[in-house]
Amino acid sequence: MKLIECKNVSKSFGEKVALDNVSIDIPKGKIFGLLGPNGAGKTTLIRIINRITIPSDGSVIFDGRPITQEDVEKIGYLPEERGLYRKMKVGEQAMYLAQLKGMSAREASAELKKWFVRFGIESWWNKKVEELSKGMAQKLQFITTVVHKPSLLILDEPFSGFDPVNAQVIREEILRLKDEGATIILSTHNMESVEELCDNIALINKSKVVISGGVDEIRRKYGNNNVEVIYTSDSSLQSSRAFKVLSDIDDSGRHTAVLELAAGATSNEALQELLNQKVIVNSFKELVPRMNDIFIKLVTEA
Amino acid sequence: MKLRNIKTIISREYLTRVQKKSFLLITFLGPVFFAAIALLPSIIMFMAEDKGKQIAVVDQSGIVLPKMESDATITYHDYSTANPDSLKTQLSDLEMDAMVLVSPLDSATNSVNVSAFSNSPISVDLKERISDKIDEAVEDYRISLYDVGDLKQIMNEVKSDVNISTYTIGEDGEEKISSSEVFMIISLLLSTIIYFFIAMFSGMVMQSVIEEKTSRVVEVLVSSVKATELMFGKIIGVACVALTQFLLWIVLTAVLVTGVSAFVGFDTMMGDPAQSEQMMQMTGQMSGVDMEQMAAVTEGDGLGVIISTLKEINYGQLIFGFFIYFALGYLLYASFFAAIGSAVENEADTQQLQMPITVPLIIGFFIAFYAFKAPDSAVVFWGSMIPFTSPIVMLARIPFGVPAWELALSIAILVGTFIACGWASAKIYQIGILMFGKKTTFKDLWKWLRMK
Repeated sequence: MKLIECKNVSKSFGEKVALDNVSIDIPKGKIFGLLGPNGAGKTTLIRIINRITIPSDGSVIFDGRPITQEDVEKIGYLPEERGLYRKMKVGEQAMYLAQLKGMSAREASAELKKWFVRFGIESWWNKKVEELSKGMAQKLQFITTVVHKPSLLILDEPFSGFDPVNAQVIREEILRLKDEGATIILSTHNMESVEELCDNIALINKSKVVISGGVDEIRRKYGNNNVEVIYTSDSSLQSSRAFKVLSDIDDSGRHTAVLELAAGATSNEALQELLNQKVIVNSFKELVPRMNDIFIKLVTEA
Repeated sequence: MKLRNIKTIISREYLTRVQKKSFLLITFLGPVFFAAIALLPSIIMFMAEDKGKQIAVVDQSGIVLPKMESDATITYHDYSTANPDSLKTQLSDLEMDAMVLVSPLDSATNSVNVSAFSNSPISVDLKERISDKIDEAVEDYRISLYDVGDLKQIMNEVKSDVNISTYTIGEDGEEKISSSEVFMIISLLLSTIIYFFIAMFSGMVMQSVIEEKTSRVVEVLVSSVKATELMFGKIIGVACVALTQFLLWIVLTAVLVTGVSAFVGFDTMMGDPAQSEQMMQMTGQMSGVDMEQMAAVTEGDGLGVIISTLKEINYGQLIFGFFIYFALGYLLYASFFAAIGSAVENEADTQQLQMPITVPLIIGFFIAFYAFKAPDSAVVFWGSMIPFTSPIVMLARIPFGVPAWELALSIAILVGTFIACGWASAKIYQIGILMFGKKTTFKDLWKWLRMK
């Protein structure tokens, strides 16, 4: 099931093309990573899904039908550049943003109180926003993003500005919201959290989608068919018909080698060859590339 | 446009402003200031009035003393036989406030030299009163020298003091006595108020747009509501603040003026026609005091004319005009200022972009001043039709009377312009609020306007 479908979305600002024929599907109830270098067009795409910006061409389908202004109440958006009214009180500020998302005053107050208790910040209610530290303001902003129980959450660099403890709190909240059925678009440059959290990704570079799909599938696809072998032997492994030895580190008889499997060769054939060469195999592991490497490879090669 | 969103926005814009300390300060200090302007002259006169002055007169001419008749405020005492030099040192022992020394009559000029001595300086008012009496005495003496029997009476009879009564002829041919000065003052007051209100509250809108943009809260807002809802919600919210402030000013000023008048005593306020004229306008306008009632209280030709003039003004048109032109003029300028606020990242950058907007507003203010002198001139007519100046200029014209069709045409043009400019401003605004980095030029604004 897809919650969002972007169909051939293009956007240009005068001469400048921000998005060029972008089509992506965002599955329901999953975490979707939106990746890309700065200036690639991610923010423009997010704003189009949010209906802040109207696309020059193409359409956005929300839950099976073209998105309307009514749907923005079902979206929660945490922009990369955070911002709150500095002079407003924390409680009033949160109430205002919740009401703009269609909540009644009573509903908003009840839900906000729950969140404030959960984050242990009940005492902030009557403080002014300008009195909060950066991390505190981030927490408040996160609450205002999720308080109306959006079915789609768009989080742009949600961990920036948080210390590791609070980043972990936010990470857990994101996973909890996913378990409760929310679909989450995560735009980040932190590839570790992509690997950890995302089910699917799309990588945008120079206004175009370069790659999209499941995280595991993509990592495997960009694996070079390499395996890591740890073995014990007096001599080193030799390249053969089944594989080529890329590297071999000998630590007093205990070797760690990276082998590139020959085209068409299976891991069984490689293992057979290892046995033929009379080494004792301690570990045989498929090498999957880090998202970070795939990102750099795709962006720099383009 | 979703009404519920706009309501939420209006109430935030309104409440955050009226709860500010600066709003409360201006709202409560304003009337004190207005009331002070209205009442100050009267209060100063009241405080400064000489009461029960004791004046010792040493008349060496013999002609002055008979004219020095004591009255409620000054009592003259005859010390003509005393030695002036020793009297001077005894003033406080004798409980005299001052000593007036009149020299013997100079037979060459038929005049006298007068000196006054006192321990504390005597007021200008007291000095004038004494010199009036002495002038009268000297004049009478000179008249008597001509030895023409009733010369004094003849002189009184030939004295002339012509005063022009101005009448305006109504459509029904009825002549009404009026004073153009009164029209001028009302006209000046109205156009000044509307100018400052438009400039002040439009500026407030711009400031608030810039604040939302630089604090980046705007991106969250427009992910919930449409940019146009945000812009018009803000404009209307600030307009409500303006109306609240204005109504509070009227009520508080009226309370203060009537309160202080009652405390000080109304008849002393009415002492000087010039100052009562000023006060009546203030109180009349601010509190809506019944003019006929005031007319009954006061007497004298000058006041009669003022009251007649005030009665002649079409207050319905005036009040309607004030609110409609404030509302429309503010909407027009506030939407311009909102568009400019959206295009910049700090207030310093607004200077250049503001120019084409503030200039017409200031021109309007100058034309309004011309309207006091020549309400029927072509410049004033066109000024009251062109929508960028009409809110100010038309308001200046209204006290002098404006034909209904001109009023209707001017309002229609203003409404049409607001719709067109409001639409254009909203377009610029929704793009501008998300633009960062590059400094915006007029070329950019034009580009945004044409962007789809």
